[in-house]
Amino acid sequence: MMNRLTTGERQAAMVLSGMVALAGFAMAIVGRGDPMGVHGWITLIFAGVLFFLVGNVLYGPEPTEDRSASYYDDPTKVGILLALFWAVVGMGMGVWVAAQLAWPELRFDAAWSSFGRIRPVHTSGVIFGFGGNALIATSFHIMQRTSRARLAGNISPWFVLLGFNLFCIIAASGYLMGVTQSKEYAEPEWYADIWLVIVWVVYFVLYIRTLARRNEPHIYVANWYYLAFILVVAVLHIVNNLAVPASFGAAKSYSAFSGVQDAMTQWWYGHNAVAFFLTAGFLGMLYYFLPKRAERPIYSYRLSILSFWGIVFFYIWAGSHHLHYTAIPQWVQTLGMTFSVMLLVPSWASAGNALMTLNGAWHKVRDDATLRFMMVAAVFYGLSTFEGSFMAIRPVNSLSHYTDWTVGHVHAGAMGWVALITFGSIYAVVPVLWRKETMYSWKLVEWHFWLALAGTVIYVFAMWNSGITQGLMWRTYTESGSLAYSFTDTLVAMHPYYIARMIGGALFFAGAVIGAFNVVMTIRSAGHQAPQLDYPTGSEANEPAVPAAE
Amino acid sequence: MTILHLLIPITLLMGAIGLGAFFWSLRSSQYDDLAGDAERILHDDGDTPLPPKKETAR
Amino acid sequence: MRANLTLRRIVVTPVPNSPGLMGIFAELERIGHPATPIDAADLSVEAGDRTGQALLRAVAVAGFGAMNVMLMSVAVWSGATGTTRETFHLISALIAVPIVAYAGRFFFVSAWTALRRGGVNMDVPIALAIALATGLSLYETVRGGEQVFFDAAVTLTFFLLIGRWLDHRMRDRARSAMTGLARLAVREAVEITPSGGQRTIAVDAVVPGMVLRIAAGERIPVDARIVSGATDLDRALVTGESSPVSVRTGCEIEAGALNLTGPIDAVVLRPVSESFLAQMMGMLATAEEGRGRYVRIADRAARLYAPLIHLLALATFIGWMAVTGDWQQAAFIAISVLIVTCPCALALAVPVAHVVAAGRLMTEGILMKDGSALERLANIDLVAWDKTGTLTTGEPAIRVLPKLDAASQVAVASLAARSAHPAARAIASRLAVPGTAPVDVAERPGFGVEGVIDGRRARLGRESWVGEIAADVMTGDGPAFAFEGGEMLRFPLDEKLRDGAVDSVSDLALMNLPGEILSGDAAPAVAQVQGLLGLRGAQSAMSPADKIAWLDDLRAQGIRVLMVGDGLNDTAALATAHVSMSPASASEAGRAAADLVFLRDDLRAVPQAVGVARRTGHIVRQNFGLAILYNCIAVPLAVAGLVTPLIAAIAMSASSIAVVANSLRLNRRAVANAVPDAMFREVPA
Repeated sequence: MMNRLTTGERQAAMVLSGMVALAGFAMAIVGRGDPMGVHGWITLIFAGVLFFLVGNVLYGPEPTEDRSASYYDDPTKVGILLALFWAVVGMGMGVWVAAQLAWPELRFDAAWSSFGRIRPVHTSGVIFGFGGNALIATSFHIMQRTSRARLAGNISPWFVLLGFNLFCIIAASGYLMGVTQSKEYAEPEWYADIWLVIVWVVYFVLYIRTLARRNEPHIYVANWYYLAFILVVAVLHIVNNLAVPASFGAAKSYSAFSGVQDAMTQWWYGHNAVAFFLTAGFLGMLYYFLPKRAERPIYSYRLSILSFWGIVFFYIWAGSHHLHYTAIPQWVQTLGMTFSVMLLVPSWASAGNALMTLNGAWHKVRDDATLRFMMVAAVFYGLSTFEGSFMAIRPVNSLSHYTDWTVGHVHAGAMGWVALITFGSIYAVVPVLWRKETMYSWKLVEWHFWLALAGTVIYVFAMWNSGITQGLMWRTYTESGSLAYSFTDTLVAMHPYYIARMIGGALFFAGAVIGAFNVVMTIRSAGHQAPQLDYPTGSEANEPAVPAAE
Repeated sequence: MTILHLLIPITLLMGAIGLGAFFWSLRSSQYDDLAGDAERILHDDGDTPLPPKKETAR
Repeated sequence: MRANLTLRRIVVTPVPNSPGLMGIFAELERIGHPATPIDAADLSVEAGDRTGQALLRAVAVAGFGAMNVMLMSVAVWSGATGTTRETFHLISALIAVPIVAYAGRFFFVSAWTALRRGGVNMDVPIALAIALATGLSLYETVRGGEQVFFDAAVTLTFFLLIGRWLDHRMRDRARSAMTGLARLAVREAVEITPSGGQRTIAVDAVVPGMVLRIAAGERIPVDARIVSGATDLDRALVTGESSPVSVRTGCEIEAGALNLTGPIDAVVLRPVSESFLAQMMGMLATAEEGRGRYVRIADRAARLYAPLIHLLALATFIGWMAVTGDWQQAAFIAISVLIVTCPCALALAVPVAHVVAAGRLMTEGILMKDGSALERLANIDLVAWDKTGTLTTGEPAIRVLPKLDAASQVAVASLAARSAHPAARAIASRLAVPGTAPVDVAERPGFGVEGVIDGRRARLGRESWVGEIAADVMTGDGPAFAFEGGEMLRFPLDEKLRDGAVDSVSDLALMNLPGEILSGDAAPAVAQVQGLLGLRGAQSAMSPADKIAWLDDLRAQGIRVLMVGDGLNDTAALATAHVSMSPASASEAGRAAADLVFLRDDLRAVPQAVGVARRTGHIVRQNFGLAILYNCIAVPLAVAGLVTPLIAAIAMSASSIAVVANSLRLNRRAVANAVPDAMFREVPA
């Protein structure tokens, strides 16, 4: 891989990693005795390893290929592998943390392994580690293929990918050490946030530069979704993480906002993180890989553009539905509720568009597990957006807020939509990237699919049951007007559901492990063939694409 | 809800950027051939980039 | 090369050493994508569509404004009060006012223009509603009032602009078939001076009595009579038949015909301004002018609507003033009446349906050039068909091959291969036999092909000419062949019906649409095709003027005709008929004159288009019904003073969405419903 970089680029890489290593060293010194110091060492080691890896081949042979005649896929490949790594880590942590709910002794009496600390390792691990890497990797792939041009840089994609993973490592290690801002999905502290901004700016610039040098005049719709994801997440991240560090040597900061203002900011961020990180970005993935795999064009390209603008404008204000029955003013809650319900329209337009694309290709869905991953993902997307809009209505929320139903909703979206579309896209793109005809084992893809589906369904059903049970128990009054159940009573009632939840997650985790194995074996399998659209066995489909209804 | 003094202008700014992006896309003829744009991704042509054009690709 | 799949268009940029245009077309045909050159008129119209782009920009701005103002409005409607509410009103004003000015300018300008002329159009109540709503809201904002209508003003602008933009896309393109016909005119002619020399003169300088020389491959410049020479002409302009007609000394020839095979000298009969071609162009101009008179449903509805609405709003104002004496409240309610009668649904009712229908037609390979074409197509009574090139393919096929021995077969095939005459091509394609190349092959224009094969002289062509060397004469039709001294053989030719012709005629019959042939060809050929298709009637030997007279006659009787034709000579007729269609293989002038062009060779496009048109008509009527229903509910509410800005916003959106959703139904198997199932048709014996 290194020998595809010129000497000049390797030098630049060394300079960059050297600078980061120095910064890490400075952090280690300034923050000694504090978790920040540990982070400094981690940074130093991370960058240092890179420094030496590149340094070893600094004077190796120059690349011989004609760069303008090929795409730059190395960062994409590494990104896919990193995504799978984080999937295993993040989901594994998820299983563990779920198990702790049922069996608290699984904490093993340590601080680092307490529920409060390993939970964010799970959430950040799957959202940023798994999801983020998948988005970065697939965006590199899609922007090049749809622009028919090579990435506009050979070092910046690595900076983005590796820098982002450094952020993930800092985040995860920090949580275990007790570092947290206590903001959902924005737990990492101030220096990690600053680092992410730097990485993100480079990502955005790289994307724009690649599009600017496109050889295909039209910018495919998936790119719009990715760009919206990058830009809006940047703004959200910056605003929500505005904070004053307690000291420059400590992993502790104070938010610029407090009380109700901070709550609104947090959920303006939090919900839009779901909207733009977990939805817009992955819709970009869907709009490229689903038609490609089904070998049919999107049912209505016009509709995909319209729902893009609808989603972008309606999602922004849905955030306050997280704050029903709290201290924020009633009208702000209603505002969030109204926009959340209106949001259903563009969301279902996207889901419908995806499913209609498959019209006429249902036999492929039956035969090809990769395509089936994507189809089921679209279905779950429709389900989750409906569920979300429904739960955003205040009276419904009065039952669901703080219960497991919310958790069920999150996981229907995260497992059913985000993870399934990601796995589908990974299985579609891996053979193309590594020039194989098919995945190592299509049977393992099938196994993964069924494990994932079973896991999701068990999880979600368990949480629907537990959530509604909780909600109802919490609001049951005796004749004399006092609460009928104590909190502990409800907890006891939850126990079997916690176990079911863990089982569902474990099945899903097993599927992810199988997937990682399959990908690794595919890479290592013999034979380099010209990239072809890989067909699973038994499904030869060479029909011409049906003209889409415009 | 003083935070809205910050959030609303930011959102309006993002919206305006979005509007600007839409205007750009109109001007650069991004919507001239929606049927072709949907089909184009299905044709790989050897999975290599196209040769760069002399002038800006329009 | 770049393909645009939406417009079904390819742009080819030739590189050095690339084949010429014909080579490109051949290659495209070979890979299964036959193509025709695009009409320059279409291109120039599209390139200049600045209004469309400006409208779309205004739609985007209005949409942006609507969403952001909606945010403020929802907040206020949800209960924000006090300074929060006032702040939101202020921000809404800051957003709404510039946007209404920018995006709404189309309506303001149009309304002002109409008022200045002393009349009203659809845009007057719209402009009034938007302006008053914005003005009142500004007043309320300054006053610290509770309700403002910024949301309604901007949303109204947004929906109406969408309707406006859709309508613009569907509007009559300023297209004319004139360009196509004008191409047939020749600018220069070669005069044979009395002394015998040649000089080139401008065609305007040609006077009757001059003798002109017209070489093979050139177009006849003026109406003339041949004085020497013989040739074959392509007289498609007059007869619509592109099969060559042989002419010789003494024949009259017309301007615009194409001289195919040999040079001729001809004496000028009329100056170019009185030539046949000029007459055609005159007929076309008259027809195209008359066409503009069709008033579309939407415009007819608008004439009713505008005054009604003004009256209603005024009456409401006066009524409330009388009752309460509070001019603010009265104004408020009157404006809410104006807003809520929302011409949104009305403005969208027709264009949305038409756009969806156009898209639907496009997927069937039918190009609609003109939005009103759908309306006109839906109410036709009769279908008039051109024969050659429309009902038939224009290329004859051999009906029955006579029995040929080997030598004859070789001879016929070799001779036929040497001529470009369609009859010869038909023979050659049936008899592709390799053989000795004859020596001394000569094509005698107007007569046939003669050659020596294996020492024997043979002729293929006109019966009388072949009869000169044959042993006997065999009566019959079609080209004749004989060796010198041998028996004569005949090759009777049939016209090939176009794909789907039979089905098309019967489908239309099931839709209660009888058909007649309008052809310039001779009666027997016309009768044969009429019989094959089971058409109600046929007119033969019709000149272009005859066709127009026939169409005008029917129009005077109130019968609306769909004309389907392709040839040059049909151009004026296509423009005269109530509505017209032509195949893509038609001449450029024909395509430009027709309202719809079908890209596939199959004639079933005609009943398909009629089916879509009728269904669109239903949908449009339903849309109007929805709009009226909505108004029946909303107007009483508004007059009673019950419409708040929130209700107005919901009502507007709901009515617009209902109309759009209803129109989208056109996409779903609509065409299949319009034509009855095949199983109920009798299978022809």
